[in-house]
Amino acid sequence: MSILLLVTTIAALAAALGAIPLPGAAPVRDARRGWAGALAAGAMLGVAYAVMDARVVDAPVAVAGGATLGIVAMNLVHVGRVAARRRVPEPALAAQARQAVAGVAWHSAAEGAALGVAFLLGTRFGGVLAATLAVHNISEGAVLDARLAPLGVGHRRAALLAIAAKSTQVLLGAAALLLVAAYPAALPWGLGFAFGALTYLLLAELLPESYRFAGRTSIAVVVSLAAGVAALLGNGLR
Amino acid sequence: MSWAQPVLVVFLYALGTAIATGLGAIPFAFVRDLSQRAVAFAGAIAAGLMLGASFGLLAEGTRRGGWETFIGANAGVLFILLTQWLLDGRGEPGIAGARRSGRRRMMLIVIVMTVHSFSEGVAVGVSFGGGAALGIGIAIAIAVHNIPEGLAISAVLRPQGKSIAACAWWSVFSSLPQPLMAVPAYLFVEHFTRALPYGLGFAAGAMVFMILVELLPEAYEQAHGSSVALLSSMTAVAMLLFQRLV
Repeated sequence: MSILLLVTTIAALAAALGAIPLPGAAPVRDARRGWAGALAAGAMLGVAYAVMDARVVDAPVAVAGGATLGIVAMNLVHVGRVAARRRVPEPALAAQARQAVAGVAWHSAAEGAALGVAFLLGTRFGGVLAATLAVHNISEGAVLDARLAPLGVGHRRAALLAIAAKSTQVLLGAAALLLVAAYPAALPWGLGFAFGALTYLLLAELLPESYRFAGRTSIAVVVSLAAGVAALLGNGLR
Repeated sequence: MSWAQPVLVVFLYALGTAIATGLGAIPFAFVRDLSQRAVAFAGAIAAGLMLGASFGLLAEGTRRGGWETFIGANAGVLFILLTQWLLDGRGEPGIAGARRSGRRRMMLIVIVMTVHSFSEGVAVGVSFGGGAALGIGIAIAIAVHNIPEGLAISAVLRPQGKSIAACAWWSVFSSLPQPLMAVPAYLFVEHFTRALPYGLGFAAGAMVFMILVELLPEAYEQAHGSSVALLSSMTAVAMLLFQRLV
């Protein structure tokens, strides 16, 4: 548990790196914002694959059942958030900033659940996935900063908000680990849930947003490469 | 002649995937035009099935060699990139843009779909090298994926006054490289077993890249992200389960 808390906290802190630009670096906009989102989506796809592949051979029905639950749960929350946004067509800047941070926090909760169950498969496997998600968090931090900048939020504040949003990774990681450790039979369900939730989130939010900011070919290249590397690391070190 | 029977099986399954493309013409027997949303949903379902199938290929490949599968997957991505680059000079039409087209677009969409079919044929052949269950699962995924491709081709040809039979024929024609490529790909990995993880990776990489560069962006243009995500992720899970239970 202590290792999980340590690595998920480091991964959450990594989000701040994306929000604070390197000295001399141009602000993240347009194509680079799309590529940052694509990098995050690719890492998420690779992690989803690695988590699913861990038990799909032994317990395919349980993994598929968990995945269905994960997809349905994320869809219900997503549709609810979209409906809430539509009720206020032109929200104030502060409300827009809150929505952006809440979106990242929501992604991170699903990622945290994936990390929690991954640690039950082995510390090395969980550690590799946490490192992959740390890189993913840097990209998400950069995307969040790009979203918050036009709303008047400075880089330092954006970095703190990114860490706060990513802290759900730590909380849900610990909760998932405790829950599945208490009910070991639920492990394939937990892995399936994480796989379904991550797949839904990257398809519903990260990818559509990435395509808006960069050409589809470059997005496809970044997502494929990032997913390949994440899957290779996750699979090879399990 | 013990090799002849599996080769025939591979050929027939790949031929079946090609014939499935013709099913895309059927809706045009009842309606003159399909809504863009319906085409987007069909694309989202195809994307999910192909994603699930690609995961199956990757899993099979990584059990035989992680790095080999990774290298093969990147070669698959490069192959589709090269195909795109070669076709770009001709002005590649997308499903959404297809309807604005005339005779030239009509020819182009058939050419583009035909070239894309080469990698799908390789995917069917290579996956049979990993076992009949894997091969059948991939063949079904590609067959279902071919139906929206047939829809796209028919959506261009029908407004040009082509008959349903002609729409179906040109749709099937665009997928004929599948049975033609499946057999040599199968024979190659059967005789050079070391090549199998590279081949499985190649097929998976090519399919994932096609999902990302074509199917999903087209679907997002016409339908909401949540609908696309729900359809694609649910069908990916169904495909994974199907591959495990077959």
